Amino acid sequence: MQQKSEKRQLGQRRNRLRTCRTDKRTMAQRRISGGKLFITVVYLVAMCRAVPVNDLLDRASQRSDKMHSLSTLLTQEMDSHFPPYGRMQMPRPADCHTSALQTPNDKEQALQVSESDLMSLARSLLQAWVDPLAVLSTSAITLPHPSKSSISSKIQELQEHSKSLGDGLDILSGKMGPSAQAISFLPYTGGTDLGQDRVTILNKFNFLLSCLRRDSHKIDSFLKVLRCRAAKLQPELC
Amino acid sequence: MKKVGEVVLLWLLILFIQNAAGEGYSPPGKPTNISCRSPEKETFTCWWKPGSDGGLPTTYALYYRKEGSQRVFECPDYKTAGKNSCFFSKNVTFVWVNYNITVVATNSRGRAFSDPVDIDVVYIVKPNPPEEVVVNVTEDKDWPFLQVSWKPPKMADTRSGWITLFYEVRLKLENKNKWEEVSAGQRKTLQIYSLRSGGTYEVQVRCKPDHGFWSEWSPSSRVKVPEYFPQERSMWILIVVFAAFILVIFIWMVYMNFHSVKRYLLPPVPGPKIKGIDKQLLKSGKSEDIFSSLVVSDFPPTTSNYEDFLVQYLEVYVPEERELIMDEGKDLQDDSFKTENSTCDNDSGRGSCDSHTLLTDKGGGDKEDGQQSDQEGSQAEADTKSQEEALEEELLACSHENLQSSNISNEKEKVKSWPSLFSPLPQYSLSPVNRPNPPKTGQQHCLSDSLFTPNSMPSYFTQPGPSTRKGFRSNYWECSFDHKQSHPLHPQSAAHEHLQAQNDLNTAHVDYMGAPLDVHVLNVRPSEYVEVQRVSVEDGVLLHPISPSQEDSRTLSHQTEDYSRVRMVNNDNGLLLLQRDAIEEEKSMCPYQEDVVSRASITPTLQNSVTGINTALPILDEMAASGYIDTATMFGLPTH
Repeated sequence: MQQKSEKRQLGQRRNRLRTCRTDKRTMAQRRISGGKLFITVVYLVAMCRAVPVNDLLDRASQRSDKMHSLSTLLTQEMDSHFPPYGRMQMPRPADCHTSALQTPNDKEQALQVSESDLMSLARSLLQAWVDPLAVLSTSAITLPHPSKSSISSKIQELQEHSKSLGDGLDILSGKMGPSAQAISFLPYTGGTDLGQDRVTILNKFNFLLSCLRRDSHKIDSFLKVLRCRAAKLQPELC
Repeated sequence: MKKVGEVVLLWLLILFIQNAAGEGYSPPGKPTNISCRSPEKETFTCWWKPGSDGGLPTTYALYYRKEGSQRVFECPDYKTAGKNSCFFSKNVTFVWVNYNITVVATNSRGRAFSDPVDIDVVYIVKPNPPEEVVVNVTEDKDWPFLQVSWKPPKMADTRSGWITLFYEVRLKLENKNKWEEVSAGQRKTLQIYSLRSGGTYEVQVRCKPDHGFWSEWSPSSRVKVPEYFPQERSMWILIVVFAAFILVIFIWMVYMNFHSVKRYLLPPVPGPKIKGIDKQLLKSGKSEDIFSSLVVSDFPPTTSNYEDFLVQYLEVYVPEERELIMDEGKDLQDDSFKTENSTCDNDSGRGSCDSHTLLTDKGGGDKEDGQQSDQEGSQAEADTKSQEEALEEELLACSHENLQSSNISNEKEKVKSWPSLFSPLPQYSLSPVNRPNPPKTGQQHCLSDSLFTPNSMPSYFTQPGPSTRKGFRSNYWECSFDHKQSHPLHPQSAAHEHLQAQNDLNTAHVDYMGAPLDVHVLNVRPSEYVEVQRVSVEDGVLLHPISPSQEDSRTLSHQTEDYSRVRMVNNDNGLLLLQRDAIEEEKSMCPYQEDVVSRASITPTLQNSVTGINTALPILDEMAASGYIDTATMFGLPTH
C-alpha cells in the first residue's frame, strides 16, 4: 500500500535522524581518537543534513492526510449501515477525550500559533489516540456491523500510520526545540469496553470515530500549516 | 325569482371559494435539504429548500446551536447568499466545532421545523473555481501546445497552508462533446500537447481541497490552434530507410538468383534442334532450303559398316609415352574400338574391367583353366605361337561377329577409341559386343586393379558371378580366343587370360554405359592395368611371349611384378603389350617389340619400352605375380 510505503520511508528517515542525533552524543562522550572523531562528525553532519526539515514535514503531512482520509472512510462506512434514527434517539455522548486540549478555532487563531506549539498540539493529539485506537481495534472485531472486517482493517491501518507519524514527529520536534517536544497528556478514560448492547456499542463506536476524524483533521491541518511555513524555497506548494 | 336565485347562487359560490381559500391556509411545509458549504474554511453558507408555504407568506429562520452549548443563535445574514440561505461570516464561523442547524418555516398558520443538521465547517469545504485561467498556444518547432495557467480562488488562503488545493484541467474541441481531463496536482500550470491542427479548444479548470468537494468548473477559455503540419520526420525517415533496406535486399536476392528467377519467369523455349536445319534458315523462311536440309542423306543408315556408329574409346595410359597417336588411324580406331568392350575403361575401378572371375566364367572354364594353369602357362606357352595365330584369327572373326551383333544390341554404347591405339583390332572392337544386355549389369570384369590409374572405373563394373562372365571383355576375349583358338585356347588359358587381360585393358576404357569416354592422352598416367581374373588364386596374366623362350623368361621374370601394358592393337589384330617401364627386362624385348611395332605399324612415337608382343599371345607378357597387365592401349595382335 502506498500509505505503508510512505510510512516506512518516513520512519526510516526519522530513524536515521534519531540515530544521527544519538550517535552524535555517544561520539562526543566516548572521546574517540581525533582523526576518527573528526571523520565521524563530518559523516554524521552530512547524514543529519541528508533529510531536510522541509521534506520531513512534507512526509508527515502526507501521512496525516492519509490518516484523516481513513477516518473519514470509516465514519462513512459506519453510517451506511447504522440506522440514523438510532443515533438521533440516543443522547449525544460527552465530548471527546481530547476536547480539553486548546486548539485554534479559526484561521486567524491557527495562524498565530507558533510552530512549536503547532507541533506540540499535533503530537499531543496523536499521542492521545494511541490507546483509543487499540480499543477500537479490539472492538471492531466483534462489532455488530456488517462491514466490521473492513472497519477492522482500516483501524489497523490507522494504527500503523499513527505509529509512524508519531515517530516522525518525534524527530521533527527534536529539531524544533524543547517547546515542540512538550506533549499534553490526554488520557482516554473510556475503558476497553464500549458497551453491552448493540446500540450502545455502535453508538460509542461512532462517537469515537467522529472524535478521531476531527482530531486527525486537526493534526493534518497543523502539519500542513507547518509545511507551508517551512517551505520558503518551494512557494509553489503553498 | 330567477334573479334572486342567481344572486344567491353566486354568493354561495363566493362564500364557498372564500371558505376554500380560507381553509387552504396551513402551516408551512418543512424546509428540507439543508446544505452548507464553505468556500475557504473561514465562512460558510447554508441553503435550504422551503416546503409548501401553506398559501400564506412564510418566513424562514435558521437557528443554530454550537456543540457543547445550548445557546441558540439565528442566522446573521439571510441575504448575502441569496434566497433561502444563510451566510455565516467569519465572526460566527468556528472550525472544528459542530453546528446544529435547524430551519424553521413560519407563517400565520404555524411553523415547521426542519430536520436538524450537524455540520463541521472543515468538512464542507467547496472552494470557488480557479481564477484567471490563461491559455496560450506556444509555438515549438511546428509542434504547438497549450500552456494553461491559473490562479487559486481569491478567497482560499493557500499561502499559509490553511487550505491545500488540488487542480484539474479539462479541455475539448469546440464542436465535440467529450472532455479530456488532466490532473495538475498542486501546480498552477499545465502543458497540453498533441493538439489538432487548426482546432479550437475549450479549457476549464477546477480545484478541490485536500478534504472537501470539487469546485465548479471555471468558465471556458477558448483558444485556436494554428494550422501546422505534423512533420513527423523521424517516422518518415524510418519508413524510407526501412523500405530502402527491403528494396536492397530484394534486389540482391533477385540478383543472386537471377538465373533461376529468369528461368522461372521466362522459361527457356526450346529451339529447334533438328539436325541439319539451320535456325537462321528457318528464320529466313526459305522453305525449300529448310526442307532440303531436313532430308538426311544418310538416313536410314545404309552402310553395313555398323562400326561407324559405334565409337568406342579405350583409355590407355602410357607412363612414358607422351603422345597418343590420335590422328593416326582414328578411323581405324573408331572402327576397331567402337565396339570394344565398353565395360572397361580407365576410369573404372578394379571391377570395371573384366575380372578374372568374369573371364573364367565366360570361358566356361577355359579361363579358369587358364588361370589355374597360369603357372602352367609356361607349359602351354610352347604352343602359344600357333595358338596365338589362331587366337588372332579368332579374334578377328569374333570381333566381326560381335560387331554385327553388337551393333544391334549395343547401339547405345558409345565407346571412344583409344587415342593411343595404333591399330585397333577390329575384332576387339567388336568383341565387346558380346557383352550381354544390359550392359549395366557390369559383367565385365576388368583386369584392372588398383594399380590402374586412379581413374575410377565405372562402378557399374561389378564383379559378376561366374555366370556373368559375359562382360565385354570377357566376351571379347573369350570370343576372340574362342574363335581363334577354340580348343587350343583351352590349354592355354593363360593366353586367354592374357589376351583377355589385354583386351580388358584395352576395353577398360570403353565406356560401358555408353557415355563416350574421353580419349586419353598418353600423358595420362600410363598405368592402366588389366586384372586378369582367374579361377586360381593368382591373379596374374600370363602373357605368352612371342617366343617360348622369351615367354618363359618373361613369364618367369614377370611373374612377380611385371605388368604388361597393351600398347595398342594394330589392324592386323596385333596385340601390342607395353611392358612396364620399371621392368627393364622387358625392355629386352624391345627389339622384338619393335618388330612387332613395325609390323603393327606402330608409329615411332612409341618411346617407352614397349613390350610389344607381336603375336597375340606371345606379346602378352604376363605379369604373373601381380597379374595385371598394363595395357596402355588396345593391343593388337600383330599379324604376322
